[in-house]
Amino acid sequence: MPKGITLRAAKPNGMKKTQIVLLVLIMAAIAVLISVFGDFSSYETFASAAKDPKKSYYIIGTLDTTHAMHYDPKADANHFTFYAKDKAGTESKVIFSGEKPRDIEKSEQIVMMGFMDGDTFHCSKIQMKCPSKYKKDQVAVGKG
Amino acid sequence: MDAIKFAGEHLWPGQLGHFFVIVSFVTALLSSISYFAAARSEQAMDGGKGWLTMARGAFVLHAASIIAIFTALFYIITRHLFEYHYAWEHSSRDMPGEYLLSCFWEGQQGSFMLWMFWHAVLGLIVMRTAKDLESRTMTIIAFVQAILATMILGIYLGPDIKIGTTPFMLLRNAMQNAPIFSSPDYLNFVKDGNGLNVLLQNYWMVIHPPVLFLGFALTLIPFAYCIAALWKGDYQRFIQPTLAWSLAGGAVLGTGIMMGGAWAYESLNFGGYWAWDPVENASLVPWLTLIAGLHTLLVYRNTKRALTITFVLLLLTHLLVWYSTFLTRTGILGKTSVHAFTGDGTALTYHLLIVIGALLLLSKVLLLVRWKQLPRIKTEEETLSREFWMFIGAVILFLASIQIAVTTSIPVWAPLAKWITGKEFAPPTDVMSHYNNIQVWVAIIVGLLSGAILYLRYKNSDGKTVGKRLGIVTLISLVLTGLLAWGQEIKTWQYDIMLFASLFGIVATIYYGISVQKLKFKKLGPAVTHLGFAAILLGILLSSYNKHAISLNTTGLSFNLEKKTQAETIQENMENMILFRNIPVAMGQYTATYIGDSAVGGKDKRIYYRVSFDRYDSSAKKLAEHFMLYPDAFINPKGMQGMSANPSTKHYLNKDIFTYISSAADRTKSDTSTYHTHTVNKPGDTVYLNNGFMIFNGFSNEINDKRYIPKEGDLAVKARLSVYDTKGQRREIAPIYILRDRQYITQVDDTLEDMSLYTRFGALNVHSKDSASVDIMVRQTNPMDDFIVLKALVFPYINVLWLGIVIMVFGFSISLGDALNRKVKTPKA
Repeated sequence: MPKGITLRAAKPNGMKKTQIVLLVLIMAAIAVLISVFGDFSSYETFASAAKDPKKSYYIIGTLDTTHAMHYDPKADANHFTFYAKDKAGTESKVIFSGEKPRDIEKSEQIVMMGFMDGDTFHCSKIQMKCPSKYKKDQVAVGKG
Repeated sequence: MDAIKFAGEHLWPGQLGHFFVIVSFVTALLSSISYFAAARSEQAMDGGKGWLTMARGAFVLHAASIIAIFTALFYIITRHLFEYHYAWEHSSRDMPGEYLLSCFWEGQQGSFMLWMFWHAVLGLIVMRTAKDLESRTMTIIAFVQAILATMILGIYLGPDIKIGTTPFMLLRNAMQNAPIFSSPDYLNFVKDGNGLNVLLQNYWMVIHPPVLFLGFALTLIPFAYCIAALWKGDYQRFIQPTLAWSLAGGAVLGTGIMMGGAWAYESLNFGGYWAWDPVENASLVPWLTLIAGLHTLLVYRNTKRALTITFVLLLLTHLLVWYSTFLTRTGILGKTSVHAFTGDGTALTYHLLIVIGALLLLSKVLLLVRWKQLPRIKTEEETLSREFWMFIGAVILFLASIQIAVTTSIPVWAPLAKWITGKEFAPPTDVMSHYNNIQVWVAIIVGLLSGAILYLRYKNSDGKTVGKRLGIVTLISLVLTGLLAWGQEIKTWQYDIMLFASLFGIVATIYYGISVQKLKFKKLGPAVTHLGFAAILLGILLSSYNKHAISLNTTGLSFNLEKKTQAETIQENMENMILFRNIPVAMGQYTATYIGDSAVGGKDKRIYYRVSFDRYDSSAKKLAEHFMLYPDAFINPKGMQGMSANPSTKHYLNKDIFTYISSAADRTKSDTSTYHTHTVNKPGDTVYLNNGFMIFNGFSNEINDKRYIPKEGDLAVKARLSVYDTKGQRREIAPIYILRDRQYITQVDDTLEDMSLYTRFGALNVHSKDSASVDIMVRQTNPMDDFIVLKALVFPYINVLWLGIVIMVFGFSISLGDALNRKVKTPKA
């Protein structure tokens, strides 16, 4: 070690305790934010979700009305099947483990969360976008 | 088009209302400018008296015009003037009176009006109490009011640029393309409005928005005081009022948020009180920063440290309220939130972005200009000082709010992330555990700090005393933690630590209040507030950790102790159970039986499903407990197919049993049963039923059935029938046969709901003078045709949570009282 250089204390000059703590906390927060980044999911299509069949994704699609929906609570109250088309236009059978969401017939978009298994998408969460009441053609016309 | 004279329209309330919208905007702007001028001429000879008078007058006029806007809109809604879009959109004729208020806040403009109303009320109070800071705080308050007024201005600058949306827009202008508006008498066809979303037809919806918006409005006042302090360069005078207003804000906003939780719990079928939904988060984040800022302000009051961070936090709090408006009102959350807010197009998005940008710029510039001269203390604080740990707690709260904000804002930053990474980011698939896994540590640290910090003094504390007291607290809390963790079977270690932290907070605050503060009421504010907070943590932990469905559908469930796959997680989510009428089903320790449904009638359009819960004591072999739950639903509510369900909850002191209907049989489709005719000749004849039998007891012409209105010339007779069910229980029914004017035959049927039995007096066959036979028509619905699909969840110890909230708000009030009484600013030694 050349002469003339003195070892500084681990605590740099002018750093206050609060500043050190602040720094540590911010580093920890950044570490936490990065580590939970993996939690964030992504919007996929049926095809891309099928590449990793064990992982859950979100798929945005529309209800395919050319196929019949099936919900028979007497047989299984947690089993609702329907067909959906994703953004790429691919169609897939969807099994939802829950009751038939009300108004799904009217939905103009459905966001499904789940995973692909073979050619079926198993989903545990459905969110629908229904045409809003603002729609111009929906004035309720009563007879006078 | 212009030439059409429309018939039956009431244009004056709308014109008057819109006039007052413009007045409110102009007066707010005038008030702000005059206050600004008054602040600038403080040093002048008359101290800017003239400006001050004008500014005050303008603000009072502004407040009055807001009342006028409200009155005009209220008139339109209560008179059912459906030529106005707002009334048509949000109200209907059959709506119960108390919900007429809720229509105000269902819509975008109504909530802006509510927000403005509270700002105006608070502004009037600040005007009277701010004294030498009045001109500066009121400049800001009036300025923000002017901005808010632009939201409901509805003025076009050119064909495409619209500023705000007026609540007084006419239906025909809102929907110009609809063909019916080309006929001058279109109002004859618009008989009724859309009505209020059935989910919002609930008493929580009447009180929750006003409280929440008061909480939002209260963040403006600390914001205004901070700006005023920076502007004037006086960092002493603002402390006391800012502290008082922040305490009020913490209490009211906290109450508002939890009312939202209670609303979700009581009347929505989210299955809980908190779902980390973006809309909930959007109001939680400013609350966290407000609480953090409140604590650093206390540090500053007592030690002259932490002024900069106080300004940052309190300024940010109000900006975050605007940001939360941006998130919830522009529809940007679209696919991530269950709250179905519709966006008001891009106009509102840009409008709000400009507002947030302007307020952010103002705060930033002022802070930077004053940065150098903000008082700071060079020395270090002691490790055993209250300010040091309060500061850390505030930073933790702030970081927690950042984490929540980052995840909530995914739709905001996703386009940028997509541009960088090419991946389209979506919220976590398991939102609850995403937040819980992180926030559990925040809860632990803040829980521990909220208890321990009370034992520390500002500047420095005696380590020995603190150590001794906290040692006792730790010991008691450890014992309690052990007992509760064992009793409640809390096996996840993170949650065991959280359990300890919350119990530590509870024990520490109680011990502090009793043995250190000697229960001196005025000084109990912090201890009581922290006690409430720790109790909230405990309540959240106990009710969520052991929340479980007792309506678990166990059919086909695979038992696998290996690591859970997605498919098994889905299996676990199968919390729906089908209940056929009168067929008991085991649910946890109860037997649940769906008995039937009923409607109340009148304006209440709901159907109530009667579900009986029975608990049998297996050793004593008798019924130990019985109660009824009435989960209800709107069937095919206006404009919707299917149903909209409301839960019903059985409250115990130590748990709640929470049920709601997720599906029910559509009786109009599934009832396929038909009448079968049975002929009886003499009293004593028997008719056999699916579930019992029926004995004919003869005729009677003494009829007192409300459904039959006698008329002259009627020949009315009833068949007296005794029905015995399988348990041998006997009940009487009497279908009626009426021959009116010797030619028309009508019948009044009689039914026994719980036996699914419908009887009709089909025909009276007279054979001779004293012999006649009766055709009794019997219809019995197939019990398998009547069912409900029910979800039943148990929330243990949820009352600890509600109690915690009450205690916390009470604590805030004690502190507020103390802050208001402390008129003389004497820095504590």
